[in-house]
Amino acid sequence: MTMDTVVAEARERLLARAKKEGLTTVGYAVLDSPLGPLWVAITPRGVATIHYGSEPPAAELRRLVRAYGPGVVPDRKRAGALARELDQYFNGKRRDFDLDVDLSGLTPFQSRVLAQTSKIAFGDLLTYHAIAKRIGNEKASRAVGGAVGANPVPIVVPCHRVVATDGTLGGYAGGLEAKRRLLAIERGAAVPAGGWPPAARS
Amino acid sequence: MQDHPLTFGQLLERHERELFAYALRLSGQRADAEDLYQDTFLAAFRAWPPPRRGNERAWLYKIATNRAIDRERRAKRIVANVDDLALAAPVRNDVALADLAGAIELLPAGQRAAFVLRKVQGLDYAQIATALDCSEEAARARVSEALKKVKARVA
Repeated sequence: MTMDTVVAEARERLLARAKKEGLTTVGYAVLDSPLGPLWVAITPRGVATIHYGSEPPAAELRRLVRAYGPGVVPDRKRAGALARELDQYFNGKRRDFDLDVDLSGLTPFQSRVLAQTSKIAFGDLLTYHAIAKRIGNEKASRAVGGAVGANPVPIVVPCHRVVATDGTLGGYAGGLEAKRRLLAIERGAAVPAGGWPPAARS
Repeated sequence: MQDHPLTFGQLLERHERELFAYALRLSGQRADAEDLYQDTFLAAFRAWPPPRRGNERAWLYKIATNRAIDRERRAKRIVANVDDLALAAPVRNDVALADLAGAIELLPAGQRAAFVLRKVQGLDYAQIATALDCSEEAARARVSEALKKVKARVA
């Protein structure tokens, strides 16, 4: 038995005790995915973070700690349901996610934008401008772009389905290659050079 | 990084391994070490936040050391299990692990903690002083006294 296994087992028992005392609130884990490692966090309300990378960004940790205190702990078991749904999604076996998302701590504007983003169906596309229109602020495309870009739960809140008005992909927190791959999974075809101009969109 | 909030998880990921090794070196028994490790982190979580940002390591050692000394006072006697100890302690120089473990084990609790903190865990004297709740001078004195005794025993 190595030191690592001994400590891992001790940690599991420690966290069970801490949980029983109500000291822990948020569980996190690093999941493997075809797009690289994902740092994910689950709160009592649902999935709060999916971050491209194996370390959480400071701003995201701040949001979690502000809402739930410092009891943010590693917890693979708690991330299990999300891991399963993501696997199914990446394997083309899931079009919608059943898990709740937790967007607490975001501004009302961000929440409205992400609520609209959540409504875009599997394989569909919507422009930043169209979302701005839907939230009743047609001139706010740029701000919508910012809010979509700051989506703390990409993939599950499908901000990869939001594109620029001219059909190009716009931006993506996980990198444009990740956005291309997600859209290819959903639309069953590689993203054409230059994206999907408005007339070509279905 | 001031604006990076500290969480229980980060505290664990950064320090749990060395604290567990410390607990093992202090107690000599895996089961006792695990109890000490758990009690230390639970106490830290309950007492949150750490008293001084950037000094969490010494704070954890202080909690662990105090608990180990209390526990030893209550239990009186500990017999080190060399196999358990081997998980944490590399053989140093030519001194057989069992001899070294035996020598460390015979030290009084305060000196043993000082010795392990300095010679095995590699803390500096300011950190040891925090961990043992004493002055740096007293920390130096304890380490040097412990070192003398250990050397005499393994010689």
